[in-house]
Amino acid sequence: MIATNGFALTHFQAFLLFAAVISIAFGFLGRRRPKDRIKYILWSFFLFLVVGIGIAWAMYPFSR
Amino acid sequence: MADEVIQQTPEATPAQPPNEGTQREGFAWAIGIAGWLLPGLGHALQRMWGRAVVVFLAVGLLVVAGATMRGNVFSSNGGDAFDTLGYVADLGTGSFYLAARALERDGADVSHADGDYGTRFLATAGVLNLLAALHAYEAARGRKA
Repeated sequence: MIATNGFALTHFQAFLLFAAVISIAFGFLGRRRPKDRIKYILWSFFLFLVVGIGIAWAMYPFSR
Repeated sequence: MADEVIQQTPEATPAQPPNEGTQREGFAWAIGIAGWLLPGLGHALQRMWGRAVVVFLAVGLLVVAGATMRGNVFSSNGGDAFDTLGYVADLGTGSFYLAARALERDGADVSHADGDYGTRFLATAGVLNLLAALHAYEAARGRKA
């Protein structure tokens, strides 16, 4: 993962890292109870994946 | 027959010293600025330890990842409005902005996808920290948080 020119991630790894970090931060800031936080984090992460992959597929015909 | 006039008396409000609101507002501003300068500090000062740790780690991870992926750390002498917006977003990380500049010794390289992602990570870290600082400010004012 560490390349000679720094921290190298694939598109999907960068996408997963982004979705996970933001979902966890939003979950902790937006909810108080641990159970609510976990539900919020999982739901937010799932929506990040669905929307991100959906947009990627929608752009696929124009990618080349 | 005289018309009946119903007078509504104002609801009793709890007496509070005149300076209390001003002091609380000043405290809230201090909390917000502290949270901006060092991610998580605004929550830590209010003993919201979980939120403080998560904000510190989330912003720190995004900054380190963004800088080591050679994302663009914008400076004040940007050429256009987008550079200025990027600078404002990057400044949102507070003291971590200096860390990002120190980490990125070889400069930005946005000719590859990594550098482009890095730029987004850095901007997201800044905006996330501003959101967290605003959250800490609102909590210090007594709003539900």
